[in-house]
Amino acid sequence: MPRSYKLLTALLAFTGCVGLVITGALNPLMLIAGAGLIPGYIRFWRGMPALSKWTIGGLSTATLFLFVIDALIITGDIFIAVAHLTIAFQAIKSFDLKEPWDHLQVYFMSLLQLIIASELTRSLAFGLIFIIFLIALVAAMVISHFLKEGAIRKVRLRGPVITISILTLVVTGIFFISAPRVKGGLWGKSRAQNIKTVGFSEKVDFGSYGDVKLDSTIVMRIETSKNALQPFYWRGRTLNYFDGISWLDTIKTRTGIQKQGNTFIIIPVLPENALTQKIFLEPLDSEIIFGLGTIAKVEIDSRTMFVDHAGSVFTPEKSARRLAYTVHSTLDEPLSDEDAFHYRQFPPDLKRLPELASEITKGADTTLKKALKIEDYLKSNYKYSLKTSPPQSGVNPIEDFLFNSKQGYCEHYATAMALMLRAAGTPSRIVTGFLEGEKNKYGGYIIVRQSDAHSWVEAVIDGKWKKFDPTPPAPIPEMPSQVSLYLDYLKMKWYRYVVNFSSSDQKRLIDYISMPFLKMPEMPDIKVCGVRMLAYALVILSSSTMLFFLLRRFRIYRYGFVTVKYLKFRNFLKRKGANIKRSSTPSDVMKEAARLGLGDKAADFIALYERARFGGRGMNEEEKKKYKYKYRTL
Amino acid sequence: MTNNSLKLLQERIDSVIRGKQGAVKMAIVTLLGRGHLLIEDVPGVGKTTLAFTLAKATNCSFQRIQFTSDMMPTDIIGVSIYNPDTKNFEFKEGPIFANIVLADEINRTGPKTQSALLEAMNERRVSIDRKTHTLPEPFMVIATQNPIEYHGTFPLPESQIDRFMMHIKLGYPGYEDEKSALLGQSSLDFLENMQPVITGDEILKMQREVDGVRVDDSLLDYLMAIITETRKNEKIRLGASTRGAQFLLKAAKANAFYEGRDYVVPGDIKDLAPTVLGHRLILKARTSIYDAEVIMKEILERISVPV
Repeated sequence: MPRSYKLLTALLAFTGCVGLVITGALNPLMLIAGAGLIPGYIRFWRGMPALSKWTIGGLSTATLFLFVIDALIITGDIFIAVAHLTIAFQAIKSFDLKEPWDHLQVYFMSLLQLIIASELTRSLAFGLIFIIFLIALVAAMVISHFLKEGAIRKVRLRGPVITISILTLVVTGIFFISAPRVKGGLWGKSRAQNIKTVGFSEKVDFGSYGDVKLDSTIVMRIETSKNALQPFYWRGRTLNYFDGISWLDTIKTRTGIQKQGNTFIIIPVLPENALTQKIFLEPLDSEIIFGLGTIAKVEIDSRTMFVDHAGSVFTPEKSARRLAYTVHSTLDEPLSDEDAFHYRQFPPDLKRLPELASEITKGADTTLKKALKIEDYLKSNYKYSLKTSPPQSGVNPIEDFLFNSKQGYCEHYATAMALMLRAAGTPSRIVTGFLEGEKNKYGGYIIVRQSDAHSWVEAVIDGKWKKFDPTPPAPIPEMPSQVSLYLDYLKMKWYRYVVNFSSSDQKRLIDYISMPFLKMPEMPDIKVCGVRMLAYALVILSSSTMLFFLLRRFRIYRYGFVTVKYLKFRNFLKRKGANIKRSSTPSDVMKEAARLGLGDKAADFIALYERARFGGRGMNEEEKKKYKYKYRTL
Repeated sequence: MTNNSLKLLQERIDSVIRGKQGAVKMAIVTLLGRGHLLIEDVPGVGKTTLAFTLAKATNCSFQRIQFTSDMMPTDIIGVSIYNPDTKNFEFKEGPIFANIVLADEINRTGPKTQSALLEAMNERRVSIDRKTHTLPEPFMVIATQNPIEYHGTFPLPESQIDRFMMHIKLGYPGYEDEKSALLGQSSLDFLENMQPVITGDEILKMQREVDGVRVDDSLLDYLMAIITETRKNEKIRLGASTRGAQFLLKAAKANAFYEGRDYVVPGDIKDLAPTVLGHRLILKARTSIYDAEVIMKEILERISVPV
């Protein structure tokens, strides 16, 4: 067995397992099972014999037993349990590589592992692993094909393997670029873990931001139009009701948004100074769509979208996929209802807060001046700190912040200001979202992390909702390293041009290619529907069938029809237990056939083969017929 | 499948030497391939009979040379004698001037005489006193040799042994064959009266046809792979020569012809390789020629046959 073949099998087994492990969704204990591959393949490389039938069988049975327990009790998730099972089987298989069939099993398991992994992650590293897998798989298949034919010595493999690998990559690339885009994962819902956030549900407990502020997980990446200026307030949702412990949304009005193509229009006429943001949102446990200011239009691949009373935009359900969408928004302050009834609620047990509010706003004659005074008061008299201790029992946490600890983070400030405004008679609400984010100089986009989560206040000033941020500036966080920024840039490219390569990107590409020549008609947006799915399936099926026949042609071209039949007969005898090696001559094969009771027929068949192959005459049609007939009767 | 007259020939010889079909076939194949045959075995197993029967059955002239330690080259190739009448030296042909020459116990004589014979074998002519005398066609030497372990023998040097196309051994006949040989008529009388089944001219014609047997290019590669492997094998000190390769090809062609084919198949080469190449190999360990054939078979098991 050539060393390259051994190496490829090992490589394929490892890519499958590593692809699964990097998803991080598996039980860490599986690393130990996965490590079993290392001694397995070292043994294999050195040509040591496979373990005994009984050992392998016993281990496999035990693994299956564990799988059942795993699926039912330990993980309780059959999907993850299957992933665990494949790793264990890969490890067992590495000790049991004898026949070409065993190698094929390894390839199949690796493929299965990568399919599972593709449902668990969409990371850049996985993409790389998948490309390695693809190349190695093609190379291994080519080698195994020639190995099976016993022609390994005659064929210079490097040429064909490299050519076919490159061809595969090119074809895959073309297919990727040109194939119609299908929404959703292979099995509908992806299983990628959504990022846990706070602040975007209908109920936000006071003090829940503290942990999130320490989490540097990336939430979204944003490309903005040039006219967008700092500070960036990525507005999420609003909350109107404070029960003393939590902020709630008690209005809950959501209406569907009018749709034109893939664009959802909230404000029909865009103001001139509208900002455009292209946002790549990680899967969050929330339906919120973020944007700067008030969202006017959203371009997103979705059936429906909703907007609430405060202009927050929602997808119909939590997205398990990474969302890519474009927002057109305006910083113009939205108009408010006449009385803004829902935004005047005040928790009755707060006594000292209204006193403080009236004290601060003393002397201010307009609502705007009052609001600015409160904002300024909070900004200058309190300290920003994430280290807050729970209040003494009986003391309301917001009053504890205002009068005892005098330090806190955005939530404390925003809540205090909103309540003080209400105490002073001004309708107000809490806004949750993200603040700023850091700019990645390599890609020119903005990275927003969990730690950028923020909340601020909107208040009705002269019939318009005006934004206030009473939180004093937080200490500047540590800058991420250049390397990590560059890596993130690569990831962004991966998401942008591979994972999120959309039908509009195809359109753009076609426009770009065909621009100089002719104006192509607009490609219709392709949606998943039964007929189209069937069409894709047919295309894939027919192209693979074509490939199969091409390969067969290739084989017949290489060996000739006569030899292919002879080789088939040889393999047939081998399966019947004949002792046929590469060094067996046709007459040896005939003797073996006679031993198996096929003497006369085989003799004629082999004589025909020998004459056609070595007699230098080939076969005429009649002989071919006879030859085929003999083959069939055998 | 077997060529008809060759089949008859084989049957005729088989009727004399019972149970030795393989060896007889090898002798015929060697004759068709214009080669010479070396038979190595203990005395009295039918070496001479085989050679004599072959000559008789092919209607060829036959000479037997019994090699002894005091033999001179002229005893084989002939000598020029002064004729007082013509006042000239006249060449008197030696026993080598025959179609089939049995060189019995070739290793009993010294190297000088051995080489005289072997040169004649190779060139198919003898030169004496600047005059060249062509040997008759067809011409084939069947040399017999006692195993080297026997006393009073001069083993053939490697270069000499290389000139034989094949090296076979007869071995004792099987029980039944030996028993019927005891009962059979005195073989000498029978042989003298044996009718030929084929003529020397026919043999010559067949020899020319053998040259026209087709060899596929892939089979030449296969043959070369075998030759190369004998040179690389770690158990072998000296591998097969180019002459060995030529002989193997010729033998394979002759074998194909014998089987009634006008093309060589892999089996021709593989089956004949041990007999044709075995005696040419010099092993690292000092062992007998039969071990060489065992190693040859090992080699053949390692080389893939073209398909």
